[in-house]
Amino acid sequence: MGTLAGTLTLPTFGSKVASKTRVDYQNTPEGALVQRAQAGEEAAFREIVERYQSKVFSIIHGIVRQRNDVEDIAQQVFAKVYLSIKNFDFRSSLITWIYKITVNECFDYLRKRKVRKLVYESDLSEDEVRRVENSEPAVDRQIPADSSLAQRDYVLKLLTRVSEEERMLLMLKEVEGFSVEELAAKTGMNENTIKVKLFRARQKLVKAAQRLDRTPGLVPG
Amino acid sequence: MHAVVMDSLEEYLAGALKPAAQREIEAHLNACDACREEIRCMQDVSQLFVSLRSEEIAAPAPGFYARIAAQVSEREAAPSVGNVFGLGFAFGRRLIFASLLTLAVLGSYLVSRESGYTAGPSPEAVLAQQESPAFDSAPAQDNMLVTMTAYEH
Repeated sequence: MGTLAGTLTLPTFGSKVASKTRVDYQNTPEGALVQRAQAGEEAAFREIVERYQSKVFSIIHGIVRQRNDVEDIAQQVFAKVYLSIKNFDFRSSLITWIYKITVNECFDYLRKRKVRKLVYESDLSEDEVRRVENSEPAVDRQIPADSSLAQRDYVLKLLTRVSEEERMLLMLKEVEGFSVEELAAKTGMNENTIKVKLFRARQKLVKAAQRLDRTPGLVPG
Repeated sequence: MHAVVMDSLEEYLAGALKPAAQREIEAHLNACDACREEIRCMQDVSQLFVSLRSEEIAAPAPGFYARIAAQVSEREAAPSVGNVFGLGFAFGRRLIFASLLTLAVLGSYLVSRESGYTAGPSPEAVLAQQESPAFDSAPAQDNMLVTMTAYEH
């Protein structure tokens, strides 16, 4: 990978792309629904849940893959949506905001699961730890048998090295398949900003991957 | 990375470039080792995201909304530290600020006291001690040696 010094042209980055006008989410049918929920109307919140529950389940399932925990995490997500809907400022679309909460909740869940595992293992003797490791399902081990699970674990590890915003943008771009133009509309940022943020996030991922690949016991994609 | 690649990086990685733009980038990548290597690394990482796509159409079990409502009530009922004492957010902030200020004052007081201990006798006191008749006596010299040895350690 070449150095960026001298060749980095961030100021002219995206010069071909004209910035689009921001979407006014407050004056859309969805905006009206959010305003009703912000006013405390339960039917409006219920409609939000029903509208986006499948999407939230699908995002969580993609990241966590533990079917038993998907609903628990989804409940946490919607409870957070309910409790903080008053802070929603219409700068982005509602689904983008819910998407961010969902991704953060999943990473929080994965972090807590890792901590729980470490605490549990620290209470055991070395022999017991070895026995538990051998009896664990392959999914939870450091090198899962399934290569897709190995890739998932690897990319999740890389995603812990970027900020919450970068993580959300990368997921929306790479997993949901949105274009830069669509991302700009969904997030309320302009296209050049999205491109710069994605570029920096990708650079961080590449650096993190290079560091992880030098660490024994990790599975590159 | 050069501007020609960077401007269309996202479209290139997504395979969504128009043929002319695609040819332009590929011509540059053929000539520029640094860009080619950086793009290759980014493509490798980009492909990993496929593993996060969920093909499963997930639907919640019946009663999902009721369970969310229960969780919301649970969270709303759970008292926070501020609520326990009936304190508002603004008051809480003031309380934290006042505590930090007190800590800073106490800290600086302790540091000044500490430096007072380590400063030792004042120059005037040392001179007065040297000028005293007992300073040249043998026990005093022994004491001086002991003191100097202690300082060395």
